[in-house]
Amino acid sequence: MRLQLTNVSQKYGAERLFSIPSATLHSGQAVHLHGANGAGKSTLMKIMAGLQTPTTGKVDRLFEMGEKTNRQAVIYLHQQTYLFDTDVRANVEYGLKLRGEKNPRKVDEALTWARLDHIQDRAAYHLSGGERQRLALARALVLNPQIILLDEPSSNLDAASIERIQEMLADLKNRGAGYLLACHQKNLMGQYCDQNWYLSESQLVVD
Amino acid sequence: MTDIWHTLMQALAQLASGDSQLWGIVGVSFSVSLSALLIALLPALSLGFILAYYRFPGRWVAISLLNSLLAVPTVVVGLVLYMLLSRAGPLGDYHLLFTQPAMVIGQILLCFPLLVSMSLSAFQAADHRVLETARTLGANRWQAFTTLLFEVRFALMAAVVTAFGRIIAEVGCAMMVGGNILHYTRNITTAIALETGKGEFVQGVALGIVLLSMALFMNVTLGWMQSNSRVLRQVS
Repeated sequence: MRLQLTNVSQKYGAERLFSIPSATLHSGQAVHLHGANGAGKSTLMKIMAGLQTPTTGKVDRLFEMGEKTNRQAVIYLHQQTYLFDTDVRANVEYGLKLRGEKNPRKVDEALTWARLDHIQDRAAYHLSGGERQRLALARALVLNPQIILLDEPSSNLDAASIERIQEMLADLKNRGAGYLLACHQKNLMGQYCDQNWYLSESQLVVD
Repeated sequence: MTDIWHTLMQALAQLASGDSQLWGIVGVSFSVSLSALLIALLPALSLGFILAYYRFPGRWVAISLLNSLLAVPTVVVGLVLYMLLSRAGPLGDYHLLFTQPAMVIGQILLCFPLLVSMSLSAFQAADHRVLETARTLGANRWQAFTTLLFEVRFALMAAVVTAFGRIIAEVGCAMMVGGNILHYTRNITTAIALETGKGEFVQGVALGIVLLSMALFMNVTLGWMQSNSRVLRQVS
């Protein structure tokens, strides 16, 4: 699938945050989104995820022949991940339950993938920063998303956690998922991306 | 002191004996208050959610009005309802005065603003990422709303417990629109007022023990919930 942005702009009052005539993000593609604080990275990602309506323009989810259309194809991960007030396993099961699917094996696989299987019964709000990000990725992975939008996933994480998240993202890409990684500074996570998007002075420049 | 002790013992004995009149009065109280609470609950939570998450003209007027209604004495609510339901009133044709439905209506009016106000606070204190997380993981609007209800469940339970405590312990409205009719509209509080007026303290004390026990139970439950909920800790 691909996310197609057409004439997307966002204004707050008279102030224009950004204006993007056209941009495309494909599944299987890894893109690093650069931009200073306040440039509009989070807003752009929320618009792409369908969580926010842009002032003008539209974002189309274009599926290839044979691909299944579903609401869970594009998933946005907050900078500070929100975990539901349940245990780790129930967090992973959440999206599956929404579509009436019971698949314990899939949940087990996601938990193992995120190295959280040994703490699956623990209350989610007791997790460390790195574990929270891994749980958020596992919660997304279990739904087989085609595009994941990650908002500053490395903030407040130590080097080991960043490395683990990076491995998980590489694995997601190998599975065919694309991702857009927002980060205001060039760091380890962005170095494996295929493309760079720069959000600066209200414009999106693709490199 | 001996008299008080003696009365207390007699009251406990009356409770333990399963006195049908006394437990019938307790039954009326619970039946009326639980009915009022159940009827008011969903509309009140929905309004609390709308006021917390939507911006529209008159929103602040509505919030201010609801907060003002919290301070209205129960007897004033009873008075207004009495005038509406009395034979000469606009709703007189329904013959509701001195009936349990009239008491239920009165208690709905009393608990509704409290439920809205407390649920509004709970929804406002909830993390704004709850709905976004639910939506991005595939929830439709209703599923996202129920997820939010789950996330703030303890704060909402606190609202329900507080509202129930307010209506089951009120006397002014129940007395005015219920009429304190034995086996029909006489509830715990109106019975206590009547028995005390007659100088018959035993039944009044027995019913008071029921109310106090219930208040203790609700507060212990609430405390337990509070210690188990991060959301409620944020609200309180």
